[in-house]
Amino acid sequence: MSENKGNINRRDFLKGASMGIVGGTLATMLVYSYSPWRKARFPKVKRKLADIGACKNIKITNISETSWFDNASLMGDIKGAGGLLVNQYDYNWPPFGDGSGLGKGSYQKGIAKIKHLLPDKLDEAWAVTEKASVHPENAGGYACLIEMEELDGKKHKYLLDSGWSYKWTDECFKREGIDRMLKNREIEALFISHEHFDHFWGLPVTLKYDPNITLIIPDGFYPEGLQYIQDAGHKGKLIKVKPGLNPVVPGFASFVFAIPIICRVYGEQSLYFNIKDKGLVSVTGCCHQSIIQFAETAFREIKYENDNLYGVYGGLHISPFEDWDPKYDDLVLSLGKYGFEKIGCNHCTGILCAKKFIAANYPVVRGTARFRSKDTAYLGNGDKIGFGIEV
Amino acid sequence: MERFGENYLEERKLVKRWKGPIPAIVSLAFTLAIFYATWWIFQDPRGWMRMYTPYVGYMYTRWWLIVLIWMVYLFNYWPFKRSWLENSHPLLKGAVLTAISVGVLYVLIKGFFEGLLGNLGLAYFNPGQLMKLPGVTEFFAIEYAALACLMFAALASWLSPAWIVACEEAPWQDLKQPGKGVSILVMTFFLSTVIYFMTMHSHMGILYYPWQYFTSIAPPYWEKFANTVSGNFHVSWIMCCTVSVWLVETIWERYPFNLIKKNGLRRVVAFFGIIVIAFAMHFFLYFAQELTWGPAIRGTRRDFAPDWRWLHVGEMAVFFLVPALFITFYCNNWPKKFSMPANVVIRTVITIIAAILLYIFYYKTSHLFLGTQKGFSHPQQFPMIPTIWLINIWLAHHWFMDNWPGWKMVPKTADEIAKDHEMKEAMIQDIRWNPTFGWGLGVGVVAGVAVYFITVGLLPVFYSAINIIK
Repeated sequence: MSENKGNINRRDFLKGASMGIVGGTLATMLVYSYSPWRKARFPKVKRKLADIGACKNIKITNISETSWFDNASLMGDIKGAGGLLVNQYDYNWPPFGDGSGLGKGSYQKGIAKIKHLLPDKLDEAWAVTEKASVHPENAGGYACLIEMEELDGKKHKYLLDSGWSYKWTDECFKREGIDRMLKNREIEALFISHEHFDHFWGLPVTLKYDPNITLIIPDGFYPEGLQYIQDAGHKGKLIKVKPGLNPVVPGFASFVFAIPIICRVYGEQSLYFNIKDKGLVSVTGCCHQSIIQFAETAFREIKYENDNLYGVYGGLHISPFEDWDPKYDDLVLSLGKYGFEKIGCNHCTGILCAKKFIAANYPVVRGTARFRSKDTAYLGNGDKIGFGIEV
Repeated sequence: MERFGENYLEERKLVKRWKGPIPAIVSLAFTLAIFYATWWIFQDPRGWMRMYTPYVGYMYTRWWLIVLIWMVYLFNYWPFKRSWLENSHPLLKGAVLTAISVGVLYVLIKGFFEGLLGNLGLAYFNPGQLMKLPGVTEFFAIEYAALACLMFAALASWLSPAWIVACEEAPWQDLKQPGKGVSILVMTFFLSTVIYFMTMHSHMGILYYPWQYFTSIAPPYWEKFANTVSGNFHVSWIMCCTVSVWLVETIWERYPFNLIKKNGLRRVVAFFGIIVIAFAMHFFLYFAQELTWGPAIRGTRRDFAPDWRWLHVGEMAVFFLVPALFITFYCNNWPKKFSMPANVVIRTVITIIAAILLYIFYYKTSHLFLGTQKGFSHPQQFPMIPTIWLINIWLAHHWFMDNWPGWKMVPKTADEIAKDHEMKEAMIQDIRWNPTFGWGLGVGVVAGVAVYFITVGLLPVFYSAINIIK
């Protein structure tokens, strides 16, 4: 107790001040931090309005959206190997199976068994890996063909992703005539959305028909993935895209998001197309960044027709394993505000999510459920969708 | 009469074996070695048992924390006698008590949650029951059930210690063990259950398709306020409550609630005061993310999603707990030479700086040695798992092993105990309200408000000046 009542001494002042600082800080934290006043401190969104030009239309052929055929088998493998943080090259899935069993593989041991057969002898390579891998029959893959027409009528063809199973991907390529297009060098580039097994590991199938194709990957590939590009027999130009906007041709740009993804993958590349008089279309492999983040990024970064978000194609990574979480409902509830006019979703969007979109009256383009696609709730294998053009 | 472990922690004297900071450094090295070895055995996705799936490993980590709290804070080491606690070698005590905690943990998860609740009450606590639903794979059945247990754990890890720290065991403080422990356990478990139903059950209800309107409120009542239907909004403030309880108990020495003379009032104010502190932390840490990353956008994933931001509030809060416990356990709650509020402010500032450094260190490097992945918002990235795992090891080391080998436990004499009580009372008397504090208090409040707004102004500048994830 102070001996000088009524006077201020240094020790009492400091005692009071210490109490006051803690109390004042905590009280302000409580009252201000989640109040509407705080919003005045948010920086205003400055739109960069980068001009990527416009194109006339795009047509997309779904080569394959079925990355795996049996969800229980895939999730059983993931569970057995230790969960969703395990390095994808360690699962012992094809084509990197080495016979040592689930969760005990490695890129080096797996590729050693098939490297000499890539990219020309894929049937033989797959026969080898089938014997050494876990659940080779479950491997499918994701790939789509994008045909784009510029305003002056010039046409371009691009591939987005190259599947997983050599056997399945080659079968799908032949079904859609991709093998012929690649041989004829009609396809200008292969964009890899991200390093995941179901989008990237089927790379030798593309290279079998065109080893010189330009390959455009997002920054963030791990050493195994970069080595695989070489080991798979790629002889063409390799472009690693840094995070951010990457204009390709008028009306078309890719955008790389620096994000961590399950099974030890980093970074995703998605595609923007600006369709004349219609608006922006997003084409995605898995869209791990989320479709709403993709739309918000477009709003901040680029200029597009009528300021309108026109359409979506591809995986939206909501319930890829038919799992669910309330945060996915946040997306379902919010997507309507963005006004997409044509939603061509599939793959890791999940059938359950597509059904929730349909129940919310979103303009989901239904599929035909052919070639092992499971449900008409979304665009299946062999289905096509056009933006700015009817197909 | 033979005693159990009542007041054992208070009545033990930990004597340094070496001078200076050596015992603290040795303890840190020793516990980090145990952390890494056990991490590799139990959690690491590259390791042996690979429980970091993530929810299974996370659930066991959280419940183990609670079992440790139950054994020491609620049951005061019962049924172990004081003589055994005082005379057994720390390694033996550590092994026996840790083994018991793991046994209790296993019975609790497999017996109570999965077996009893999951089979006879709420299906979502039992993976086997969940797998009966069409389309639910074994992996997600296990993850969902672990998530439900985990959400319950979040509540129990706040309420169990809060009943001791804030409510001072009332009204059972005079009961003998195990009556006292059982009474507090039943009370805190009951409260956890009630709050679980009001905060987490709706999250579980909308996890299944279609929304379970008839068994849980859907959409949940917090949707508009929290900008998400996810229960992570509650995980956030409840996690902040857990951290606040321990801050109050350790580096704050129960200040400022210990200034209140009347027992009943002090206990009520402390219990709800901790919640108020937690909400201040809950809102501020969310705001800090808005200031550094930009406002959240509902429906996005990862670091822009409101549900992740709320979860990350809890994750950030735990980073504060780690240095706070280290200061108390291994630095003898340094400093002690000033008045209690000054000591509290100094320790808090040290804790904040250390927590920020630890946060940066974790996100810069942890993926290199924990088997996790770089980045803030990987959906399976839960920094609460390694941080609480380390805290659990520290609790076992400090409570069960008397900080061996850096310290030696010597029971205090009756005189020493009486002297401790006198000093503590004198320290509290020294800071009980006095009108001469008024000027200082007023200036302090203004300074506190200024500290807040300066911090808010500097945060975006500070964040943009450092590159955590390359």
